[in-house]
Amino acid sequence: MAYRYRPTFRATELGLLLFPGLTAIIGLAIILLVPRATLDWSWTELWTSLAFAGAVIVMSVTLGLRGFRGDQTILPLTAMIALIGMLMIQRLHPDLAARDPGFSTLAQRHLLYLGVGLAVMWLTVMLLGPLGLIRWLQRYRYLLILGATALQMSTFFLGTEVYGAKLWIEIGPIQIQPSEIVKLALVAFLASYLDENRDMLKSSWNVGPMKLPPIPYLIPMGVMWAMSLLTLVLLNDLGSALLFFGIFISMLYVATGGLVYVVVGLGSFAAACYGAWFAFDRVGIRVQNWLNPWQDPLVTGFQPVHSDYALASGGVFGVGLGYGSPAYIPAVETDYIFSAIGEELGLLGALAVIALYLFLVLRGFTIAIRARDGYIQLLAGGLSSIIGIQTVIILGGVTRAIPLTGITLPLISYGGSALITNFALAGMLLYVSGLPKRA
Amino acid sequence: MPSVIRVFCGLASVVLLGWGLATIDDVSDARWLMTLGIAWLLLLLATYVPLSNMPQFSRSLIRIAIVFATVLAIVSVQLIRIQVVQQDAIAYRTAQTDDGDAIANPRVVLTPLENQRGEILDRDGVVIAATTEQDGNYYRSWPNPATSYIAGYHSPFLFGSSGLELSYADVLTGQAGNNPVTRLFNNLLHQPQQGSDISLTLDTGLQESAQSMLGDQNGAVVVVDVDTGDIIVMASSPNYDPNQLFTTSPTSNADAQAYWDTLVADPDAPLVTRANLGLYTPGSTFKTVTAAIAIELGYANPESVYTDDGQLVIDGRVLEGQNRPNVSQTQWTLREGIMWSLNIVLAQVGLQIGGGEFWNMAQRFGFGRDIPFDLPVSESQLASDQSFLDSSNAVADTGFGQGEIQVSPLHMAMITAGVANDGVIMQPRLVDQIVSPNGSATDVPPSETWLTPMSPETAGQVEAMMVHTVNAGSVQAAQAPGYVVGGKTGTAETGVETPHAWFIGFIGPLDGESQYAVAVVLEFGGSGLTGPVSIGRDMLLQTMEAPQPSD
Repeated sequence: MAYRYRPTFRATELGLLLFPGLTAIIGLAIILLVPRATLDWSWTELWTSLAFAGAVIVMSVTLGLRGFRGDQTILPLTAMIALIGMLMIQRLHPDLAARDPGFSTLAQRHLLYLGVGLAVMWLTVMLLGPLGLIRWLQRYRYLLILGATALQMSTFFLGTEVYGAKLWIEIGPIQIQPSEIVKLALVAFLASYLDENRDMLKSSWNVGPMKLPPIPYLIPMGVMWAMSLLTLVLLNDLGSALLFFGIFISMLYVATGGLVYVVVGLGSFAAACYGAWFAFDRVGIRVQNWLNPWQDPLVTGFQPVHSDYALASGGVFGVGLGYGSPAYIPAVETDYIFSAIGEELGLLGALAVIALYLFLVLRGFTIAIRARDGYIQLLAGGLSSIIGIQTVIILGGVTRAIPLTGITLPLISYGGSALITNFALAGMLLYVSGLPKRA
Repeated sequence: MPSVIRVFCGLASVVLLGWGLATIDDVSDARWLMTLGIAWLLLLLATYVPLSNMPQFSRSLIRIAIVFATVLAIVSVQLIRIQVVQQDAIAYRTAQTDDGDAIANPRVVLTPLENQRGEILDRDGVVIAATTEQDGNYYRSWPNPATSYIAGYHSPFLFGSSGLELSYADVLTGQAGNNPVTRLFNNLLHQPQQGSDISLTLDTGLQESAQSMLGDQNGAVVVVDVDTGDIIVMASSPNYDPNQLFTTSPTSNADAQAYWDTLVADPDAPLVTRANLGLYTPGSTFKTVTAAIAIELGYANPESVYTDDGQLVIDGRVLEGQNRPNVSQTQWTLREGIMWSLNIVLAQVGLQIGGGEFWNMAQRFGFGRDIPFDLPVSESQLASDQSFLDSSNAVADTGFGQGEIQVSPLHMAMITAGVANDGVIMQPRLVDQIVSPNGSATDVPPSETWLTPMSPETAGQVEAMMVHTVNAGSVQAAQAPGYVVGGKTGTAETGVETPHAWFIGFIGPLDGESQYAVAVVLEFGGSGLTGPVSIGRDMLLQTMEAPQPSD
């Protein structure tokens, strides 16, 4: 059992939480002081930072009181990454709000999402066990995948188009990005399905004298593959399509160990993208922006060129938090937030952020390896892969190592759905780390 | 995979990335992306560690984790390339579309206006280049048209800088000359750099006077303190207004661009300031140099006698002599040759010296050398090539200042100053002091000897001949009652139209050493006896009588 209901003192976690706690206070103080050019400040102005530090410490303490004995690094890593996002959004807020009144509540909304996200993470860890939700997800996997597909497809009919891609559906005052919820459902479905059928998947299908892959068992996989492509073609959301496909390939690889699935899967996706390059101007522009945004620096290449300017202006040490001009980059608060980090915190800050993600992903895989049950292994591996794939897609795109496909930088980019689901993701990882381990 | 291959792949990946970072310059280069891709594949091979004795799930999970780690490593290399290796190339990259729309890094573009650029002042503290603050930005202006072009233009968004704005850019922007501790603090605290002021040896009043005397004639006036090399006047005409080239934003600059296009298209080349960048044939003013060389080498003294009966035949070419005040006189001393500017006398002096020694001695006077100065100076030449002087006629022509001699007004003024300063040519000096923002660190570039081409005795004899020329010879118009003035005019045959007209001279009190030297040139100004003499004389007199800087 996960819970022995014997309180424990989570000393490592509390010690590590000092870093995000202190960074929150110092970082926000810097952001407040830079435009004032004085050293006058008061503790009341730092209430958001204090609340953040307080919230994560309370989370740690209550987990300890509850007797939770899971991983002690997931919460500090999640908190540190989310905190960097909070500071960057706080810092970008005045610049963006001055330019566009649509951003006038950016920082407040982000804080709200952050608060909800932390609460969701806490509730996930505290309640997943007692409610038996993990097993519920395992049992009702087809319902889950049908719901997810329906949600994803509903974007096609109900979605709002932004930058040519349909990413959001509006329900009253709330905007939801379905792909963020769908990605968790996909991982849960695949974990359940692959765990149950993994022996079948490794076998071969004998049709007469021929040995074929176990096609009947791959049909649900085919549905997944089709869904990714539909996301790409119908919704024009290349980033989510790539993410879904990455999840699909990596979990299939975990379950079967078969490189052939990876090769065939990547090959077919590459072929689809190649087709899309011809079919959609947007994709062609992305390839051009990847290879040389200077071909059209004022229109199509405007964003990558300004991102390059920002990163190059940062240098090794950065220009300092609050001293840069990252607001010149369109979508700096979402896709391009890493360029703002690179400008103001420099190469060192950017590498530190990369290291934080790497630690989080590696810790997630460690949890997966140590888990006793195949379903939990696949689940933890899939959740960690989400963080890894998203980080690689967006960081590679922003630095022009690969073509840019718009997706959020997990826990840092502005966006309610993404922030809250990623906190839920971290909560699930943390929860499963407390389950009984392999001997 | 055998460990040897993995180690090899790892090393190959590192070497490949190092090679790519070091050699692929273009910031948007598909070759670099290919290098990155190949390095990543090598990295994948290098990290393909044996995991055989593990459960299959764990194996796959570890492999995927390694893939993420390698991709993030590659992204880090890409970041190093953007933020460090190609940092400047990317941050300062600009582009312009066919429609004329430009793109540049707004951070770089705004920086020049954020720093408080140091001011440029004349020797009395009169502002030549001013910096004024408005809404946190600093704007450059040059209030006085007589001195503005000495500072040069400063056009951060369009044309860069020239003149002192360029040669002292590091001082004016605060990159140099400041206290290093202050500079470090400014950087750490993100305070804009405050540049140091520079004060010049120039005198605004005298410069204005020279400018008004030049009027709309093309030419130059240089006045120098013979003891220190201080440049007191350096007027050029035509010139330009740097204010019209300064723009406050990278986008709205049509006026500045139009003005620039006008300057570049103007056949009079206003951007080429004549005093330091112009090159002219010196004509008869060079006779002083010929005389000095002959005396220094012992071939002649002021009393040496030469024949001038109106004609000299050299290798079959007949040289016609003019300027003789008395056509019945055929024997002339060197002094009389200078006094009356007799070409035939100086042609013979030149032949005495000979091409080889002429070439070597001219180098001692600064021909064919860089002049160390705060502004660029065109290099003077005795001839385009030494072999030109193989011909006797060429040597004779050179002797009286024609041939292929080219000299800048600044250089001619320095030579004159050397004659008046016991044969010592000081380094021309324009920047007198560098004053750091809080006034604490004051850097005074010293007066230094540049050349010593002749002995004090030689210089004294040439000086006396030039004084005779003014007192009793051909340049009596340069006399200034109450002072001793020496001088020499020149008329540079240009082959077309009216010749360029020169005057060089110096002035001193009746009972003392010479103090200031002048060189004046007027393009197509006719004979040196008219315009240049009166300008030179007036400038010398005004400089003598101008109030000295109080320091």
